[in-house]
Amino acid sequence: MKQAKVLIGAVLAIVVVAGLYLVNRYWIAPATMVQTTKAAGKRPLAPDFSLIDINGRKLELADYKGKVVLLDFWATWCGPCRIEIPGFIQLQDRYRDQGLVVLGIYIDDNAESVNAFYKDFKMNYAVAAGDSQLTELYGGILGLPTTFLIGRDGRIYSKHSGATDVSVFEEEIKELLGAPPSAEAAEFKQAGGVQAGEQIQLGDPAEINSEVPGVNLSKLNPAQVAQFKKVLEAQPCNCGCKLNLLKCRISDRSCGVSRRLAREQLEKFMKPTT
Amino acid sequence: MQRGAIRSTLQVGLALVVLCALSGGALAQTTGPVVEVKTAIGADGVRPGSNIKVAALASIAPGFHINDHQPTLDYLIPTEWKVEPSGKVSVEKIVYPKGQMKKFAFSDTQLSVYEGALTVGALLKVDRKARPGTYALKGQFKYQACNDHACLPPRSVPVNLVVKVVARGAAVKRTNADVFNNLQLD
Repeated sequence: MKQAKVLIGAVLAIVVVAGLYLVNRYWIAPATMVQTTKAAGKRPLAPDFSLIDINGRKLELADYKGKVVLLDFWATWCGPCRIEIPGFIQLQDRYRDQGLVVLGIYIDDNAESVNAFYKDFKMNYAVAAGDSQLTELYGGILGLPTTFLIGRDGRIYSKHSGATDVSVFEEEIKELLGAPPSAEAAEFKQAGGVQAGEQIQLGDPAEINSEVPGVNLSKLNPAQVAQFKKVLEAQPCNCGCKLNLLKCRISDRSCGVSRRLAREQLEKFMKPTT
Repeated sequence: MQRGAIRSTLQVGLALVVLCALSGGALAQTTGPVVEVKTAIGADGVRPGSNIKVAALASIAPGFHINDHQPTLDYLIPTEWKVEPSGKVSVEKIVYPKGQMKKFAFSDTQLSVYEGALTVGALLKVDRKARPGTYALKGQFKYQACNDHACLPPRSVPVNLVVKVVARGAAVKRTNADVFNNLQLD
């Protein structure tokens, strides 16, 4: 009798969980996807980059225009990253001919570990080292893995933070592969991890690629840039680094103190003298 | 019978829903630092030629873990407290607790990790010729944190110490007994 109760309980539990999954899959998720679809046309263009991969080959995102790109930020010391890789290898094999390109960008890792991992796991896609400039362009990679799916039109369609089931990527990849080259996948629906109103935030290239990282110098001419850099060199940074403002900005891009001070200096610099 | 079965079903279903809700975006919800480290010192002073116990007290944010000093798998980054000796104060030994074995979604095997509070002890030796005064030692606490789904980059935070050396005959008083009673530093 007791066994029967447990059995019925277990069966009902499975039915409820399956029901919850279906409710989410076909009712809750599509409702949030409407927001994603509404955002169509405003999808950000994937920031371009030019790197050298671990096999010494040039790796430029622009070369993959017209392809669907799965861009994975990962590291060998990251367990959740490691479990995703076999799935990416399978996806690359399965969808290569249809236009999928998987790219791996490793962060805070050493080339030796990555090379060994690359061979052990028989990785079949390009892998290159990323730096803070690149991660800033992609909106700041707070945790690993972080994976972006870029459509044939070069726009970012989804961002997955944390280990994600390969089926989620596969579903999205199939949708993006179905879009015509260079055209927007207007009906794209993100398969997992969608939150209502979620937007993919990217960094400002004018600030990130600046000669003074984090400070937009686009309104200055070359002579003014040189003059402004001298102003920063003459200012101490009070973040504790014991460097001048310019050196602090260049040596530690993440330093919020020097970023704020350098921006304040730019405001002063740009104010017309009376 | 049906009521009991329905109740247990609802309990299981609710638990799964809560688990799903907790697992998604846990990293994104973290606002403050994942690991905060303070120090404790075992006495209010130390005589020349004697030892003094010190400790790094790490507080790990809920939901996160950092790796054991001797990690289960070779690819994991170990937790490490490095204390630079000063001219008159040397580091005799550093003692790490054993991690707790835990299974994570990203690993087939259990991993030895630290969660919650972690105390790393160190035994410092003061040179016999050290003069009374304060001696500063620089240190770095290195860790790499993950939750069940994602990892944060390795971090190294400064964990510095100040040791007060007293005259040979001066009295010293033990401090922070609650921290050092459980540390095997002698």
